[in-house]
Amino acid sequence: MTEIATSPTYRRTGGIRRLLERYPFLPALAIVLVLLSLNGVFSPNSLSYRSLTGLLSTYMALILLAIAQTYVVYAGDIDLSAGSILSLVNVAIVVLMERWGGGAGAVLLALALGLLLGLACGLVNGLVVAALRLQAIVATFATSIFFTGLALYILPVAGTPAPTIFWRTYGGRLLGLPFVFYILGGLVLLLLVLGRTRLTTQLLAVGDDQQAAYQTGLPVVSIRVRGYLLCGLFSALAAFCITGDTASGDPLVGGKMTLFSVAAVVLGGSALSGGWGTVVGSLLGALTIGLISSVVFFMGTPSEWQNFVQGLAILVVLMAGVLAGRRARP
Amino acid sequence: MSKLKLNGVSKAYGATLALRRGDLEVMAGEVHVLMGSNGSGKSTLCKIIAGSVRPDDGRILIDDTPVTITGPRSARAQGIGIFYQELSLAAHRTVEENICLAALPAKARLFVDRTALKERAARYIALFDGVSGDGFSADALVGNLRPDQRQLVEIMKALASEAPLLIFDEPTSALDRAQVERFFEILRDLKRRGRGIIFISHRMDEIKAIGDRVTIIRDGETITTLNLGETDAGTVIRLMVGGAGDMPASQSSAPAVVDAKDGAALTVRNLSGAGFRNVSFEVARGEILGFGGLHGQGQSALLRAIFGAGSIATGEIRIGSDRFDAASPRDAIRRGCAYVSGDRGRDGVISGRPIIENVTPIHYLRDRLMIARPSKLSDRVAPALESMHTKFASLFHPINSLSGGNQQKVIIARWLIDRPDVLLLDDPTKGIDLSAKADLFALIRQLAAEGLGIILYSSEDAELLGNANRILVFNGGSVSRELTGPERTRYNLYQAAYEAA
Repeated sequence: MTEIATSPTYRRTGGIRRLLERYPFLPALAIVLVLLSLNGVFSPNSLSYRSLTGLLSTYMALILLAIAQTYVVYAGDIDLSAGSILSLVNVAIVVLMERWGGGAGAVLLALALGLLLGLACGLVNGLVVAALRLQAIVATFATSIFFTGLALYILPVAGTPAPTIFWRTYGGRLLGLPFVFYILGGLVLLLLVLGRTRLTTQLLAVGDDQQAAYQTGLPVVSIRVRGYLLCGLFSALAAFCITGDTASGDPLVGGKMTLFSVAAVVLGGSALSGGWGTVVGSLLGALTIGLISSVVFFMGTPSEWQNFVQGLAILVVLMAGVLAGRRARP
Repeated sequence: MSKLKLNGVSKAYGATLALRRGDLEVMAGEVHVLMGSNGSGKSTLCKIIAGSVRPDDGRILIDDTPVTITGPRSARAQGIGIFYQELSLAAHRTVEENICLAALPAKARLFVDRTALKERAARYIALFDGVSGDGFSADALVGNLRPDQRQLVEIMKALASEAPLLIFDEPTSALDRAQVERFFEILRDLKRRGRGIIFISHRMDEIKAIGDRVTIIRDGETITTLNLGETDAGTVIRLMVGGAGDMPASQSSAPAVVDAKDGAALTVRNLSGAGFRNVSFEVARGEILGFGGLHGQGQSALLRAIFGAGSIATGEIRIGSDRFDAASPRDAIRRGCAYVSGDRGRDGVISGRPIIENVTPIHYLRDRLMIARPSKLSDRVAPALESMHTKFASLFHPINSLSGGNQQKVIIARWLIDRPDVLLLDDPTKGIDLSAKADLFALIRQLAAEGLGIILYSSEDAELLGNANRILVFNGGSVSRELTGPERTRYNLYQAAYEAA
């Protein structure tokens, strides 16, 4: 007979609990709203249309990277090379655009190749982690060094500018609306579509209990590899945004962003152990990180204290999220 | 017609043979029961058929055609569905998603067809309408369900495979009567439709109610197959136990029964908690009280709870005449309670550290020692280790350099420097060799003779029969029978363990 349950937690599901179960990103949303209003208190100007657009275009790359990270975290994996993939794609497309003259056709072709490069990096990670069964955290740390090495080979020093047409489009307007809004809209559509795929459910099932998923008959290895492919794809998209934002190539630009992406996933209410989370939460988590930096800045914190306050604020937000999210997780 | 046939299937994990020789034939339209004691290889046999364990040897035939099963996916493709004893559910997914997880209905090959998924799941949920209990719905998260409801989901999931051959590895252990009745109705219906069903349960009455034939497994070998209509419970148990079933435990081996004047070392009254209900017993000084029964019937949970490592809902524990309710193991140790677990890696060994450090932590705690002086400690450590004939090169070699049996001796030696009043042994001989076992039990008897109260839970019946003065048999989290004196026979122990709770 099976072991008798050691933790009987089967109480009735209440209203809030039920709501949190359905929309686990609600705490993250509340935090974003609080931070927005704090921003408004310290600097009313920061809530203007213009500054919000600026915030979005600065943090769009982190949003995409956090979403990239989410798909591997779904399956209980992690990708410490996401930032390096971003750097690699960033320098690759900038160098290609420059070589090919910087026209519209060159830009599109370079972007297509950038997507393929991101997918290739994801494939490498997936094979190393899922097929060779190496520890995800160490294996992707190793591939991150490898990808950074490639990026440094392609562009040893930062500074090659991106073609004007590229960053003007990213920072500009289309039919009266800032371009980043279109990106955001497209992203939301893409996430909705991805959320309905069988792959999303399968990734979550694998993250929930890998052995159970295997015994159920799911192709666990292939599912995990596809998670890493999605991660590579979104990291490449994140690279496009960072290229549009900084207008140049930098082989080390993504290094620091990796752990921010992991933090954003957790702030968004996903479980690092897998099986539980939402991409919308990660989107909000990335915004939270952006808003914290901006609150810290607008509060007039002296520059030498900014890192200190920022770290503390992330801890506080994390704690608030945990307290709220604890009720949702079965 | 034979649905499934196994010929000489075997499986070894390293040096241990989990399955020596499995022969089995399941017909279409029959419920074929597998019976055997703990670790006799039933689950291994089922997992081999379901593809989650690869056999080392032997042949598998489905519908009289030899097949190779490479994994759970290939088993499904061959028409095999299984209920896993340890369940194969995703706790954060909904009931309907879990039921359909193996083959999510697809739209445009890429998307989940939610409508089809709901429809398909609803068919299997409807089978248990009225008995599935409060809070059970298609969109409830499995992690929020009660254990019996989770078991129902796993049953639905197995049924949803619509496989011609279904395996149920202890599907009823958490179900109540009404749920079992409904499940058996479903099985009978499947039988009529010509499915082959393999069924494992430890409850005799259930086996009688649903089974057609029974195959007995003992020590990894399928012994024989009988028609259930032509046999009785006694025969089945005798076959499971083997030849020596009726011999009483040798009286000489058990230590002298307790002196009344010494009084109780440990008293437990109406104790309930996670995994056990309403348990009462008394251990006298100098007594070895055995805990028997099938694996996971609350014995370990109870011992851990007494030691402060598990939770207690209601009830009372006394050590001697003092009330004892340890909030943590640290507290329990200070008050003279000792616990040795068979799971050394998790509960005992401080991996990679020298032997001396592995012997002394309890001493630090009980003497509130602040500064450790190895030379002085050695004087205290050495006799403790010697009393059990522990073999080691030096006190400063890492504990990992020892064999499993010697590691366990080091763990027990911890408790010998400052003597506890009560010693809780939680299957202490798991995975250690025979000579180490003999040393261990010699010591345990000696400790009892010196006046300790000892509780011994063992998954090996011979150890209980050979060492315990009394045996409490656990079933479903509570004590179902107490065996004393000449009642302590292998046969009685099995019968008590296997009868319906």
